[in-house]
Order: sequence, then structure tokens, then C-alpha cells
Amino acid sequence: MALALGREALGFVLTLLGAVVLVQSLLYFAPGDAIDTLPNAEELRPVLERQWRLGESLPIQIGSYLWDLAQGDLRTSLVYRPGMPVWEVIARPAWRSAQLLLAATLLATSVGVGLSFWTQGRRHLTRPAVWAVSIVPVFLLARLMIHLLNTTTWSMMQADLIARPAWFALPLEDHPLRWALAVSILAIGSGALSEIHSESEGLLRKIRASGYIEAARARGAPLWPSILRNLLPPLTVAIASRAAFFVGGLVILEKILLLNGIGAILWQAAVSRDYPLALGITLLTAAAVGLFRLGADALRLWWDPRRGATA
Amino acid sequence: MTRLVPATLLMLSALGAHAAPLRYAEDRAPGIVNPAFATSMSEARINELIFEGLFTDSQELASVPKLAERAEVAADKRSMVIGLRREVTWHDGTVFSADDVVFTIKALQDPRTASPEMGRVEWIANAEAVDPHTVKLTFHQPEFAPEDKLHFKILPAHHFRDTAISRSDPFRNRPIGTGPWTLTSYNDDNSITLQRYRDYWGDARIDEFRMREVADKNYQAKLIVYESIEALVRVLPRDLATLQNDRKVELYPYQTNSWWYVGFNLSREPMDDPRVRQALALMVDVPELLAPIGTGDRVSGPFVPSSPFYNHDVPVLEQNIERAAALLREAGFERDGRTWKRDGQPLALRIASQKNLETAQDVVINLQTQFQNQGVRVEATFLDISDWKRQIWTDRDYDLVLSLWTFDRNEDIHKQFHSSGSRNFSGYANPEVDELLDKAKATTDPQEKRALFRQAHAKIAQEQPMVFLWTLDSYAAMTTKAQNVVIHPFTFFTFAPSWTLR
Repeated sequence: MALALGREALGFVLTLLGAVVLVQSLLYFAPGDAIDTLPNAEELRPVLERQWRLGESLPIQIGSYLWDLAQGDLRTSLVYRPGMPVWEVIARPAWRSAQLLLAATLLATSVGVGLSFWTQGRRHLTRPAVWAVSIVPVFLLARLMIHLLNTTTWSMMQADLIARPAWFALPLEDHPLRWALAVSILAIGSGALSEIHSESEGLLRKIRASGYIEAARARGAPLWPSILRNLLPPLTVAIASRAAFFVGGLVILEKILLLNGIGAILWQAAVSRDYPLALGITLLTAAAVGLFRLGADALRLWWDPRRGATA
Repeated sequence: MTRLVPATLLMLSALGAHAAPLRYAEDRAPGIVNPAFATSMSEARINELIFEGLFTDSQELASVPKLAERAEVAADKRSMVIGLRREVTWHDGTVFSADDVVFTIKALQDPRTASPEMGRVEWIANAEAVDPHTVKLTFHQPEFAPEDKLHFKILPAHHFRDTAISRSDPFRNRPIGTGPWTLTSYNDDNSITLQRYRDYWGDARIDEFRMREVADKNYQAKLIVYESIEALVRVLPRDLATLQNDRKVELYPYQTNSWWYVGFNLSREPMDDPRVRQALALMVDVPELLAPIGTGDRVSGPFVPSSPFYNHDVPVLEQNIERAAALLREAGFERDGRTWKRDGQPLALRIASQKNLETAQDVVINLQTQFQNQGVRVEATFLDISDWKRQIWTDRDYDLVLSLWTFDRNEDIHKQFHSSGSRNFSGYANPEVDELLDKAKATTDPQEKRALFRQAHAKIAQEQPMVFLWTLDSYAAMTTKAQNVVIHPFTFFTFAPSWTLR
């Protein structure tokens, strides 16, 4: 088990290094740079190129970034928040995004697994209904919800049926409803819910047909502990492997709902070619996803009922 | 006693009451609130609320003193002495003084600061504090209206250790100005709250401003209808009708100092031939292009009609298909069916525009149709800002471009039309125009400058390096609760101190 985890940890470090090299190369070869995105900055190009180390060759850029990184320096933002240390720019938004991701993951898991207990082994209309709702991309779902809630509420306000709610109008007001909406959309949209639901259904089918469940049934023992013990480890791994998709959905969702998490900042960093910021966010996200997967694997190894049997 | 109770209650409620803020939307929050590094319009606008210059614009857009109280230009026009207001304090309570003015000029001039505002102080040879409330400026050459160039914002000397200002200085999000509003918080949702500076030397009525970042431009108009914001800096043309019909919203037209054009790549065939350029220009039905995107004034050259430099003797170009056909024939083209051809090759062009330029797609598609109806094949591409600068500015890989130029009050077209101009990517070169622009740049006499620019306007229009299109009317939207609203066409909030909010 220690060897397996060691391999995973090495893979994790290599992934982070790969992320730095990949993002740095992409930004290096992409047309234009941060100076291009500033109006009237062409005259300052020589000075800014030197200050922002844009003139260096790719290997030197990667090497110097890794050197700074090894000393705990993520550098400073160039365009998004000029001169502000990257860590300062992303720390609070990252915490907000992490909360959102965690809540969305928990919601998608609990609803997906709950539904799978209900629909597994039966022809059920719920299955296509879940698929139809969940297949809608996150951005479309967010826009539809905002439009629907705002127009309906505004019409009711105009007709004096209701007073102005505290959350109105979305997405401008900082209200728990906006956060709840974001969590729900992220948990459902872009196939998240349907994937977890069908994964859970498949696992349940296998578990229920397995010998140990048959044996438990024959003994008249309760089935739930065995089912959960065999369901959760592979399900955790499946959810962990979906983590990157959740992060992808986060970028667009935060932008639409004005949540200003690291997803929205990554978008701005990419648009404005703010490479230290984009690299910082990529590293942080890759580290979070990697750690999540590592944790899920450790949990699976520790929890897997077959581990004892093999030993 | 019976009167005292309600009076007390009234007083208490008044104390508890918090004046409503004026919330306005920006596409993108200012990245830095330091006038030395402002590059975006959202930064220029917020600086207008927090900082002040020695001079500012009157509502008639003439320079009037702001932090300056009086100014005297020397007889030889090579220096000026400025007396400063004595009652001004910075937002931290420090008294404003001549040292702040001298520091600001030196900091902007310091190459280590790398300020995009450096060009605004290049003309000042020396700045010295004569006494705490008097500054003497010396110029490199005679200046006829130096106050027009002294609108840049003044920074607090006591906050910085050196004239080399760093972008990373904490001032970037905790700025101190002398203006009517002070930045109280830069919030997690990228909104910014500004509150009225109680010790402001002048008069300001609105208690609080709140900048809200709303990246989706399409949604901004909805938010003012829903009364979630009180001001919209720029209304999209397609939202004008909706807002016009809203009883709680008032539209304020203003003209920005910008004009649209279709530019030719003069280093490429067949656009290097003035007859072809003129023919293409005569094929364009400008009013038909303008109608779907809004209203505005047509222009015949590189200035807006309200500019003192605009030459009103130069007429705008009207569509003339017959004349266009004759010019193309003169240039060696023949109409072969529906297409103009020369040496068997069709007249086929590529037009590029910027992705983020509002309504540009509508104009390009209409223009494409107009050209194709006249036998000219046109392929359209839309580029993001980086691709635009590389492909158009650096590589000059294009036939036609649709774009616009925006200017500040100086309206210096040297960069666009001088053969050595840094933004002259079309390759336009005319020694006579170069001479006129050089002289206009060198002179500090406003009358001479006006005459030179008007001559340059006529010469440039004659050679048609581009099809000059229009200056578009811009509209701001404000809640009807806002009163006494006058909008500055460039910095928007210049006259905000006189605004009120019911």
C-alpha cells in the first residue's frame, strides 16, 4: 500500500511540474503577450518586457519560475491586479471556489447515489429525466436560471404581488440564494449528476449480484453495511476522476454568477495573458485535484474490503 | 412632552437612515487604482472620483483651475507659476502642498516608474516648489495653453519614498487622493465602495458610489431596469429602445472623441493605387452601415466634427457606383459578370476587425454585402486583441480593417498618419502631411495648430488611406433619481460632485 501511495505521490509531483511546463509553453507560444492587452502600452514595451521577464527564452522562463516556486514565490500579477502578489490575489477566491466545489460534489454524490438506489434494476422515467436535465451545459443552465428567476420575480414585483426580495436581481446581489444556485448548477449541469447516477447504478448492480451480498442475504444479515462498504471506495475514485470537469465548469459558472473565485480569475488571467497569475491558479488547481485523487486512492486502499482478503 | 417623543423618533430614524449609494456597472473592475498606471477606461473613471489635477474641464470643456487657485504664464511662455489651494487635504488628513505636485511630475517622468502617463509630462523641463503653496514649472519650449496639459492627477508625495513608483505599492488598492470620494473598500466580489470625503475642500452631494463589475455587457441594461444599479456608463445600441421606454431611466447622450474607419493596407496591391481606394470608398453606403448600430455624425477626415481641428470644408464621401466603376476601369479592372477582374484575377479582399469591438460584426457583414453586390469579393475575420496587434500592427497581414481610433483632448494624429508614426500600420506616407504633423506637434500656439491640422485633414481625405466613417453617439443611462447629471465625454465622472441622488 505504501509503495502504491508513493507511486501516486511521485505522479502528483510530476503532474505539477508538467502543468508548469505545459502552461508556460502554451503562454509562450500563444500569439501576443500581457503588454498587448494594455491600451497605449506599446511605447513602454522595452521597460515592461524587462520588468515582466517577457523577453527571456522558454527554458529560462520555466527554470526561473521553478526556482522562484521552490522558494515559495508565486510572483506578482501583471495585468489583472498589477503588482499584487499572486498568492494574495488567489488565496481568498480559492477558498471560496473550494467551498463551492466541495458543496457541489457532496450534493451531486448524495443526489446521484440516492437516485440510484431508487432507480437501479427498474425501468424508470427518472433515469432519462435526470439525463435530460443534467446534459445541459453549466453556462446554459446558469443563464436560464438567472433569466427565469429575474423575469418572473420582476413581473410579480411590478404587479405588486411581492416586495423586492433581498437576492434580487441575480447575479448582482451577494445572497445565499446565488451561492445555492451555483452549487446546484455545478452539481447537476454538464453531465455531472447523470454520470454519478449511472456510475452508482452500475456499481450497485455489480454489488447486489456479488457472492458476499448473496451470502449476507442467506444469513439474513442487514445488506446496507456491505453495500455501502463496497460502493463508496470505487465511487470516491469515480468522483475524484471527475474533479477536473467540476473545475472546468467552475470557470464559466463563476464568470456568469459574478462569484469571483479562482475560475473567474483564471479566465481573466488567460484573456489578459497574465502568465504568473494563470500559472499560479493552474498549479493550485492541479495540486488540489491531484491531492483529492491521492486522498481518494488512499481512502480506497484503506477502505476496500478486498484488501484484507488479498493479504 | 407630546411633541418631544415624535421629534426624537424622527431624529433617531434620520440618524439610522443611510443614504442610498449610486451603483454603476463596469465590464471589468479597475485592476489598479493609481493614476500613474491607469490604462483602462474603468480605471480612468474611478480615478476621477478619487483624485484631482491642477486643472480640469468646465462643462464647456475649457480648462479651469481645480487644485490650482491661480496661474501665471511668463511673457516668454517658457514657464508658469501656479498658486495652489490652501484648504485641500489628502484623504489621510495630510495637507496638500507644492511638494505633491513636484513629486507627481518627477515620478511620472522617472523611467523606472514606467508610467503610461509619462507622455503627459514630457514637455515640463523642471518643476520646483517656490513655497508650500506655489509651484514653478519650466517648459522645454514656449507653451501657449499649458493649463490644457495640466489635467493629470496629483499623487501624495508623503506616501512614497522615491519617485520610482512601483505597481506593487499597496497604494494600488488603498489609494489616497484629494478628490470628493475616498476608496473605503475593495471587495471580494470585485466591487469597489467609495464614500464622500467629509473634509473635501469643495462641494460633493452623493454620499456613496459603488462600482459593480458586470462582465456581461448584455446584462447591464437589465440591471438598471431592475433598479439594481443606478448608472450605466455606456448603453449598447440594441438596448436603447428598451431604456428609452423605461420611465425610471433617463438617457444622456455624449460624444466620445473617437471615429470609425475602414483602413486600407497601402503596401499591398491593388490598394496602393489611389484610384482603387477611392473606388472602394465610393462603393460604401455609410448611412446604411451606421443605421443598424446607432446614431452618429459622419466624418470626412481624422477628427470628430466637434473638434477644433476638423476641416468642415472637406465634404463627407457619398456613395457613387458609376464613379467607382469608372475609377476601377481606369485602374485596369473589367467587370466580368458579377465580379471585377484584372488580368483574369478577381478583386478579392480580406477584411479584419476586432472580436471585442462592439457592433463591429454587424458593420463588417453589411460592408461585405455592399462590396459583394458591387462585384468585390470580401472575406471577413475577427481577431482578439493579441492577434490583432500581431497580424495588423506588426505583420501588416491584411487588406482592409474595420476599427476605430479614440483620442484624448490633445487629438494627436501623428502616430496614425505620420510616415514614422508608431500606429501607422497602413503604411501611409506623404511628406507634405509629415511636415504638417511635425509642425503641429512642435507648435504650442493653438491657432497655428488648428490651421495645420485642418490642412492635414484635407490632404489625408484627398488621398483616402482609409474610408472615414463616423463618430458614434454614446449614451449613458441613469436612474431618474439622479439629478443635475452632466457627463464628461471621456472621464465620465468629472462633474459628479454636482450630481444629486434622491
